[in-house]
Amino acid sequence: MESEDEMAAMMLIEDSNDEEELYGDDDDDSDLDDVIMDYDGFMDHESDDSDDYTSPHNHHHHHHHRSQNYTVLNEDDIRQLQEENITQISTVLSISRVAAGILLRHYNWSVSKVNDEWFADEEKVRKTVGLLENHVPFPDAIELTCGICFDTCPRNRISTAACGHPFCVMCWQGYISTAINDGPGCLNLRCPDPSCGAAVGQDMVNKLASVEDKSRYNRYILRSFVEDNRKTKWCPGPGCDFAVDLIVGGGSYDVTCRCSHSFCWNCVEEAHRPVDCGTVAKWILKNSAESENMNWILANSKPCPKCKRPIEKNQGCMHITCTPPCKFEFCWLCLGAWSEHGERTGGFYACNRYEAAKQEGVFDDTEKRREMAKNSLERYTHYYERWATNQSLEKLSDRQCQPESQLKFIIEAWLQIVECRRVLKWTYAYGYYLPEHENAKKQFFEYLQGEAESGLERLHQCAEKEFQGYLNSEGPSEGFNEFRTKLAGLTRWAPLKLPLLLNYSIP
Amino acid sequence: MSGGIARGRLAEERKAWRKNHPHGFVAKPETLPDGTVNLMVWNCTIPGKAGTDWEGGYYPLTMHFSEDYPSKPPKCKFDQGFFHPNVYPSGTVCLSILNEDSGWRPAITVKQILVGVQDLLDQPNPSDPAQTDGYHLFIQDTAEYKRRVRNQAKQYPANII
Repeated sequence: MESEDEMAAMMLIEDSNDEEELYGDDDDDSDLDDVIMDYDGFMDHESDDSDDYTSPHNHHHHHHHRSQNYTVLNEDDIRQLQEENITQISTVLSISRVAAGILLRHYNWSVSKVNDEWFADEEKVRKTVGLLENHVPFPDAIELTCGICFDTCPRNRISTAACGHPFCVMCWQGYISTAINDGPGCLNLRCPDPSCGAAVGQDMVNKLASVEDKSRYNRYILRSFVEDNRKTKWCPGPGCDFAVDLIVGGGSYDVTCRCSHSFCWNCVEEAHRPVDCGTVAKWILKNSAESENMNWILANSKPCPKCKRPIEKNQGCMHITCTPPCKFEFCWLCLGAWSEHGERTGGFYACNRYEAAKQEGVFDDTEKRREMAKNSLERYTHYYERWATNQSLEKLSDRQCQPESQLKFIIEAWLQIVECRRVLKWTYAYGYYLPEHENAKKQFFEYLQGEAESGLERLHQCAEKEFQGYLNSEGPSEGFNEFRTKLAGLTRWAPLKLPLLLNYSIP
Repeated sequence: MSGGIARGRLAEERKAWRKNHPHGFVAKPETLPDGTVNLMVWNCTIPGKAGTDWEGGYYPLTMHFSEDYPSKPPKCKFDQGFFHPNVYPSGTVCLSILNEDSGWRPAITVKQILVGVQDLLDQPNPSDPAQTDGYHLFIQDTAEYKRRVRNQAKQYPANII
């Protein structure tokens, strides 16, 4: 145990050095991914990005973090990646950039998919996306009839897509503008002729659309690159414009955006290791939906035997009178009419009939269900409270982490607290779904959880209470260096148990 | 398409139609009580195809063009309650080329629409039903379906045009 801990600590320390060398800024918290992550595929991505391609590459915007399996992209990065993909396809297939863009969009911006499909059956691909092999020459006439307004126009007022169907500039403008106003479907625009499938691409849009429409069209192209791409998603953080590019298959889905929002790349909920996305979805549903209310009602009430409204018995005897207009009088235990009760059935606080029936097993099923619901509810409350406490502390720490202090070790401590709180929080959701009968597993899990919680508690205590003392004191305090050492130590120590907890619970 | 082009195009459509149109079809803009012509609404007639149960019927259809035409398709309506799986109870025709979100293209002509609807009469599209009556009979009771179609054809003889 001891040596394992030491190793983990070394890895963490090494990593944080690494990070400082690479960045020197704090827009990325040292992540536990480092310990458990699988790095496969990272090099691929690196080479993908650093094609010797001549354009201003904002290197410091890319997170070339050795141990990260994701990259945070701003709008410029997205456009740049998009351009790189287009260049690649356009070069390899010897087609125009516009055509390459159309192909890539059709195949969800997967360069390899475009290559595969194209070289498997170029003709079929061309037909599907509407790329004609040869441009149909412009009809050789001084005047042409527009296929939309049916006006006869001079040749210089007529434009065509690759198919050569002539339409006047005015009608083209209207056609393209209508399509752009109808939404992202405009990226799949075809020639206005009903029998023609020729694609109408960005070149036509640039030539014919208004400035405003052009900018909307470009926006749709940018969005398509993120939204249709299998590797990229927008950060769901409020007001955040960054996208996160993930190397799929690289282990954890937890990512931290440059806006500091941490989320699960897979389900786009808040980052939730150690539990899986399915459990998170269930847990969120459980918290939001009426299911627990239903459980409570089931556990603590019985339906009136006559009107079926649920009745909670919080005190008093077994003689229940339902509220008006029902006013049915019944026995709480056997749910029979009270008129058949009284002294002869055992008085107000017992019911012979119930006892007798229970002996015979008549009530067993409903009683059992009620008992189970009650247990389940108590269990849920236990786990929910702990989950929620960690949640609220996380919020508090967010607030505390204002840049009032430039003392880096304190920020690091708080970032560690946030990270640990989040992981711990989700371990409670995990614990809730851990099957009751897996006792040994559960015990060890709870031991680890307790260890992690107490380590974190000490760190949190130190970072909050003791720090407060230094914050409030006037002038430099004597013990501040010791405080720094202690807090830094706790910061390193607190997450040590987490990898175990995480490895343990990831199936 | 911004204002103005709808009427110009419809005037051209009218010219083209007068020059040449398929036999038995009628398509003309409505004439208002004061004698002026409203290009935005066309009264048309579609003949049932020879050799089908629809033969002998001359089905009136109204086309309503919007100012967005030809960016947006016209709305095509038979009489209310028209019997056909792909005609809504209101009489509106449900056809892919008349759907602005899928099949419509601005270069589709009035002639192409009318011929398309004529084809639809005898070749309903069971994957896109618009009324229960026609759809259920078409799927479940062919004999009754054909009887209803032939009856409807008799309700629309040539002479009422």
